[in-house]
Amino acid sequence: MMAVLRRVGLLAPSMVTIGVLLIVPLGLMAVVSTLERGSTGGVVWGRHTADAYVQFLFERDLLGRLVVNTDYLHIFGRSFALAAITTVVTLIVGYPMALWIAFQPPRRRMLLIFIVTVPFWTNILVRNYAWILLLRNDGVIDWMLIKLGLTSHPIDVLYTPFATGIGLTYSFLPYMVLPIYVSLEKLDRRLIEAAFDLGADHWRAFRRVILPLSLPGVIGGAILVFIPGLGAFISPELLGGGKSMMIGSLIQQQFGQSRNWPFGAALAFVLLVLVLLALSAHTARYRGHGVRR
Amino acid sequence: MTPADLTVGRAATTSSSADTACAAVPASSVALECSNLVKTFGVGAIRALDGVSLVVRSNEFFTLLGPSGCGKTTLLRLIAGFENQDSGTILLDGNPLDGLPPYRRPVNTVFQSYAVFPHLTVAENVAFGLEMQRRPRVEIAERVDEILTLVKLEGLDERKPSQLSGGQQQRVALARALANKPRLLLLDEPLSALDLKLRKEMQLELKRLQSEVGITFVFVTHDQQEALTMSDRIAVMRGGRILQIGTPEEIYEHPTARFVADFIGEANLLDATRVGSRQFRLDSGTVLEAEETGPATDLVTLVVRPERAFLAPLGGGGPAACIEQVVYTGSDTIYLVIFDGGLRFRVRAQNSDALGSRARAGDRVGIFIPASAIRVLAR
Amino acid sequence: MNGSTLVPPVAPQRLDLWRFPLTRSVAIAAFVYLYVPIVALVVLSFSAGDSSLARWEGFSVRWYIEVFNNSDMLRAMRNSLIVASAATVAGTVIATMGALATSGPRFRLQTAIEAMIALPLIVPDIVAGIAILLFFVLVGVPLGIFSIMLAHTVFAIPFAYLPIRARLAGLDPALAEAAADLYATPSRSFRRIVLPLIWPGIAAGAMLAFISSLGDVVISYFVSGPGATTLPVYVFGMVRMGVTPAVNAISTLLMLASVAILTVSYLLGRRFQ
Repeated sequence: MMAVLRRVGLLAPSMVTIGVLLIVPLGLMAVVSTLERGSTGGVVWGRHTADAYVQFLFERDLLGRLVVNTDYLHIFGRSFALAAITTVVTLIVGYPMALWIAFQPPRRRMLLIFIVTVPFWTNILVRNYAWILLLRNDGVIDWMLIKLGLTSHPIDVLYTPFATGIGLTYSFLPYMVLPIYVSLEKLDRRLIEAAFDLGADHWRAFRRVILPLSLPGVIGGAILVFIPGLGAFISPELLGGGKSMMIGSLIQQQFGQSRNWPFGAALAFVLLVLVLLALSAHTARYRGHGVRR
Repeated sequence: MTPADLTVGRAATTSSSADTACAAVPASSVALECSNLVKTFGVGAIRALDGVSLVVRSNEFFTLLGPSGCGKTTLLRLIAGFENQDSGTILLDGNPLDGLPPYRRPVNTVFQSYAVFPHLTVAENVAFGLEMQRRPRVEIAERVDEILTLVKLEGLDERKPSQLSGGQQQRVALARALANKPRLLLLDEPLSALDLKLRKEMQLELKRLQSEVGITFVFVTHDQQEALTMSDRIAVMRGGRILQIGTPEEIYEHPTARFVADFIGEANLLDATRVGSRQFRLDSGTVLEAEETGPATDLVTLVVRPERAFLAPLGGGGPAACIEQVVYTGSDTIYLVIFDGGLRFRVRAQNSDALGSRARAGDRVGIFIPASAIRVLAR
Repeated sequence: MNGSTLVPPVAPQRLDLWRFPLTRSVAIAAFVYLYVPIVALVVLSFSAGDSSLARWEGFSVRWYIEVFNNSDMLRAMRNSLIVASAATVAGTVIATMGALATSGPRFRLQTAIEAMIALPLIVPDIVAGIAILLFFVLVGVPLGIFSIMLAHTVFAIPFAYLPIRARLAGLDPALAEAAADLYATPSRSFRRIVLPLIWPGIAAGAMLAFISSLGDVVISYFVSGPGATTLPVYVFGMVRMGVTPAVNAISTLLMLASVAILTVSYLLGRRFQ
């Protein structure tokens, strides 16, 4: 009895804080997405409508009829594509990196992981801003390419989806490397030695032993990259310019110049639901995996 | 009631309940009395303790012995106060402990993992209980020195536990508990992590310590050798129940349950049918005569310790058998034999001379079982 | 001569089993990729001209001086520190209490509670920023330093919780029992035994919370008010307007601060092992 009271008392502050300052706001956001848009921004309380969700797929033409509008679908599609590409690229680059570090002698491993993590701890703004310096016209990359004689005039990379992709990859690379590294480091080396002993070469040992056993780390990294990537805001804002809008910027716009709160809330709500679905699919699948092992 | 009230030397309050529990024991010498303790874990699943009652006398070395899962550790934790029983009472010196949290019971524990505080020095560890009781600093310092000398850890008082060996850490745990002069010291398999030689040394050491400080010890172990070596009295437990309480001799020579006979030492267990007041027929047809009549049943189990039976010449008395295997263990020789009717039997003979074993595998011999060596238990 | 010739023994090739092909090159390329932007940033922050290598005009610290003369930026920096400190203290205390509650024998709602504590980490920061903004506006909380503090505390909780919980999990449960056995009441047992032993976890958690608060952009962007911005929000505003060399300087400074805190904690962590 005393034990229960004690536990409740200890948990109350965190439950209240998170409940009041996050869960209630999220619920509020869902409600706002069903309200009518106010004429000068804001919402009209008490007037419920599905307008915001309708706006996602449709718009009204001059005669007032509903016509399919694919603009927002494009934005969602672009966000998905960029997040997916970022995940794939960070995987292709990050896995070999994690592998190399994991097979270094122990002391060096710690140092190398530290070196990998340092950029991750610098401010996200700094990380993306540095790429502005590199990618803009007359930026560092242009300067180098011209100096090396590879091109004769500046390349337009900044403010394209490609630039956003570079920014995302850069920001999220450590999120992919670390989980893979952890699962590789924990691998029983003797299994790999057994594979070699049984005649496998490096490639086969990798494909048949190392890769399958490190799969949890790979999946963990993929989740850590894809899901935040979907909702990314800074990279598209700074590097993508107006042309390659992603979900994040679209949402922000509704609370900025567009003054369409219900729509913004609806977009945010949809994003939240997608993220929660992806995560629960992953945990459900993994609970099954865990039992199977 | 504070721990200070119950230090050794103060008269215990008399209580009438002590009279009924243990008729032959005068009230003032009962340290601990447990009555009908029941403890279940989970939602009515398994009963860890199923109506356990026992009496521990002052200054006694009392052991709870049994296989894992028998409830001995649960019982210890109930006495210490880390769990509360579902029903039943625990009296310490006649005073009920029920409902008291551990820090208000004048009982101290030596844990299986030692649980020595890693961030405190040896001296600080040992002084901890005394500090919590707010004893004056001078008294604490004296007591710490005294107890460290007692457990042979002088000079190590400034060390941290990580700098000590397993055996030394165990002594710190011991000293830390003893420093408070508790009414009862509970020890939860404290020697199980030590290697064999150190373990045997510590068994004798603990026994010596107990009689020197005059504190009642309640010791938990699954090792029957350990229990026989150290204890004044043993309670054999199984499945949440106490099967038998007695001195090591009583338990060994006069087990009252088949499990006790089997668990303690080696035993030959022969199922037999009564054919007379003291005659019993084995399944192989042989009739053995015992000195005791045993329980009033016809289906019995006869218990014969291997060292009480002897090899004899064929036909010279006792059933005939064939030697299956001879095992030399240095101090003894064990003969694994099969009776003519198919029953297996073990004879243990001390190698008191250097002549080697008397028989070899394949020989046919007689097995002499003296009547005094047979215990009769209900089947 | 006889038919057979002696073949000189070939020295066996030192096959390093653990050297997987390509991994080293990719790793080195990746390290370069990770650090080139940072190095470029630092170098250009010392440029006397307008942060372009093509028009390099020599070394100068004038942009650093400009940063320190920018009172708006200094105010933003001060706000960041105040907010981070408050959120860290509140978040760490709350997280410590939560970790104490969830360690020990499992209880019925444990999974739900741990999911709730992890929630701030799962929700995308855009969504959280919008939701909290809506909440403050509709409830009437004025947007300023205090509103940012409240929002950051929510996120500080899971950051601090994780290391503290891990540390508690590694603690022998018998230690707390031993303390109680030795006449320590629960509060004294906590102060003398549990707290000193989990302290490294609390320190690590506090640091995680502090750094995450200092570096937060998105949430702060939505819940800050006029005149009460944090440093990242201020820099974000500057960057959106274009490249000012002063941004290079402040970015380099921010980076140095993070690296310094991290290196110190890494070395401290090594010492404790």
